[in-house]
Amino acid sequence: MKRDGDIIVGVDLGTTNSLVAFADAAGPRLIAGEGGEDDVIVPSFVRFEADGRTIVGKGARDHAVEHPLETVYSIKRLMGRGTADLAEEVRRLPYRVEKLSGAEGRDVAAVAAGGRMWTPPQVSALILAELKRRAEAHFGCDVTKAVITVPAHFDDAQRQATRDAGVIAGLEVVRIVNEPTAAALAYGLDRSASATIAVYDFGGGTFDISLLRVEGGVFEVLAVDGDTHLGGDDLDRTLIDLFSREIREQSGHDIDSPVIRQQLRSLAEAVKVRLSEEDRTSVEIAVGGAFTYRRQVTKAELEALIAPFVDRTLEACRRALKAAKRSASEVAEVVLVGGSTRVPLVRRAVGELFGRRPYTALNPEHVVALGAAVQASILAGRRQDLLLLDVTPLSLGIETLGGAVGKLIGANTRVPCKAVETFTTFQDGQTAVKINVLQGERELAADCRSLGMFELRGIPPMPAGIPKVEVTFLIDANGILNVSAREVRSGAEASIQIVPSHGLTREEVRRMQHEAIEHAREDMSAHHLIDVRATVEFDLNKAERMIREHGVLLAPADRASLSEAAAALRALARESSDARLINEHREAFNRRLIPLAEKALTAALKT
Amino acid sequence: MSQCVECGAVLSVPICCDHCGAIFDPQPGTDHFSLLGFSRAYALDEERLAQNFRRLTAKVHPDRHAQRSEEVQARATRLTADLNRAYAVLSDGVRRADYLLELTGGPTAAEERGVPGDLLAEVMEVREALEQARGVGDRRTIERLRQVNESKRRQTLDEIAALASGIETASVRQRRRLRLLLNALRYFENLTTELV
Ligand SMILES: [Zn+2]
Repeated sequence: MKRDGDIIVGVDLGTTNSLVAFADAAGPRLIAGEGGEDDVIVPSFVRFEADGRTIVGKGARDHAVEHPLETVYSIKRLMGRGTADLAEEVRRLPYRVEKLSGAEGRDVAAVAAGGRMWTPPQVSALILAELKRRAEAHFGCDVTKAVITVPAHFDDAQRQATRDAGVIAGLEVVRIVNEPTAAALAYGLDRSASATIAVYDFGGGTFDISLLRVEGGVFEVLAVDGDTHLGGDDLDRTLIDLFSREIREQSGHDIDSPVIRQQLRSLAEAVKVRLSEEDRTSVEIAVGGAFTYRRQVTKAELEALIAPFVDRTLEACRRALKAAKRSASEVAEVVLVGGSTRVPLVRRAVGELFGRRPYTALNPEHVVALGAAVQASILAGRRQDLLLLDVTPLSLGIETLGGAVGKLIGANTRVPCKAVETFTTFQDGQTAVKINVLQGERELAADCRSLGMFELRGIPPMPAGIPKVEVTFLIDANGILNVSAREVRSGAEASIQIVPSHGLTREEVRRMQHEAIEHAREDMSAHHLIDVRATVEFDLNKAERMIREHGVLLAPADRASLSEAAAALRALARESSDARLINEHREAFNRRLIPLAEKALTAALKT
Repeated sequence: MSQCVECGAVLSVPICCDHCGAIFDPQPGTDHFSLLGFSRAYALDEERLAQNFRRLTAKVHPDRHAQRSEEVQARATRLTADLNRAYAVLSDGVRRADYLLELTGGPTAAEERGVPGDLLAEVMEVREALEQARGVGDRRTIERLRQVNESKRRQTLDEIAALASGIETASVRQRRRLRLLLNALRYFENLTTELV
């Protein structure tokens, strides 16, 4: 395939759905799949087959109920997390989540499916690879660069995990962009008036509120707030919990099983969608045995269930307004993003808080990918008239004596930003210093998230307290931390060894990237096998029809041996998994068919 | 004024070339003021500060250099971090005064941790009065305490601005007074959050 370094695609790697877009001179557009213009959404579902094949997207989502253990969804909620963070979450997932083995000193969650372990970046990489494939089919050339969006509230580990997913999928992640900021970019593309806008982004698994000042093509984020564990999944769960409780009470059985969990999940989502349009709906689910659960659900009932979650989003909005030093009435427009903003209660509550009807002209499920594509065009140098200035969502600090947090960089500081801190040694001749780097707003280290232990090495041996190691903590435009260190007296660069608390090491990412390439090759041969088998079946049907209709033109012995050859080819195609061998036999069989085809043609011409 | 090493054009600011778009690490010792095109003084035109910040950011931001070498990209990130820092300090009157005091020889917050003589006693009195008023649900007294605290905070801000404006010719005593007032602000702000 030819390469085109100019192509940078924009990717919305969502909890529920993922999309890819590209912006040219005419503006941003979603890239569709084989299903035609409207086939723009790749559901963020991956099914792991026993034979090692993976099925990504709609095919995995639509058969999730039949394959509850093998179908992985909402993987975004696991990105950059440990099993300890996810204990609550994991109980509700039909698939298995375990602690990644061989990751000493770390707690990295991984999915057990298809007979092996998959880290969240690897699962996400399979979704990214599907989007990459779509883009490559669209452009007819390799696509190796992408801008990928993340919730504004993602911490360093979650952003790193997203970038790792890109690397594993064979994509250079040119920039990690915050989803609400991307949405603002798509929204404000053709607006020049100066204004403060709010982006209320309520997705499948995360919630973000961003306040921005837009002026003359500069999109300046004033403040962000949100919750990386609050989304449409939680709204669905209120219904799932209600249904399973009632089923248990009415049937007298504990019906928890992966199949039921997956069924209830689909049902709850459907009910939520139906109640966005209607005031009441009925549900029915055959639980097994003779028991069928039936119930009416009203919109009022649903709204009472989800109100606490909606309230949590409003609280985050108020905090963001305070941080941005703005009042709700100063916000000129509220842009809604994410599938959960289709819920009427959400629209109503947001409208009341800001005292205005939210802006809904953009498709809330498309706008993030479109904005990512615009940001990609900025990075490609094609849009010099636009610029995004974003902030870091969380405070960065280090653990100090007694388990307190020494804050280095405050939340809502413009990125890139940096802080310089000096460290020394406590023992004579000490050549290494360990620093626990933290993210969060709490005052105790134990209440913040540890990004990892940073070990400064190569400090020249000196008496205790004499070395001055100047450490620079730099948060780049991706919101990702970069640390460098220097011993001031000797001028020696100190090396930094990082053990991420919930992330992958560089070696692991590299290994997974190679594995993914291997896997894609095997997958391709698996797909190839399916194609070859289909072709064999097609050819055989055609041949058998010809034998049936024109077999009389052959000597009985020739006719019998041809039928035998057809049966042999069918058996080979079924039993062998060697696509090349099957194909060779198919071609040989077709050659044997030529005399009959010619006779049939001659006969047809005579009549 | 120095010249651009890339194209030779005269540089109007030390970190980027208006002519060819090249970006440069600032000379050692470049302070927040000169980085943003200002001379070292407390009084400044905030509108022009914001304009300069945006104009320079649009030139040095890493998004503008994403197609250049890794070295240039790293420089763009560093420079934008410097600009963000400088703008955050200079656009805030208190941080600007604090920075200016440090820049012109201190005392720094680490060297002088004290507050104006009577402050701690005053704060304790306010806290006692607040506790009493809370005990009997006396909203009017709490509101009066809040107003007094707010007016003292404003007085302190005004005095900080006055002292910082004359920093070039300030005496040792005045410089110390400025540091004490800067240290005092935290107490007023803490009370502001308590007096609700
Ligand atoms: Zn130049």
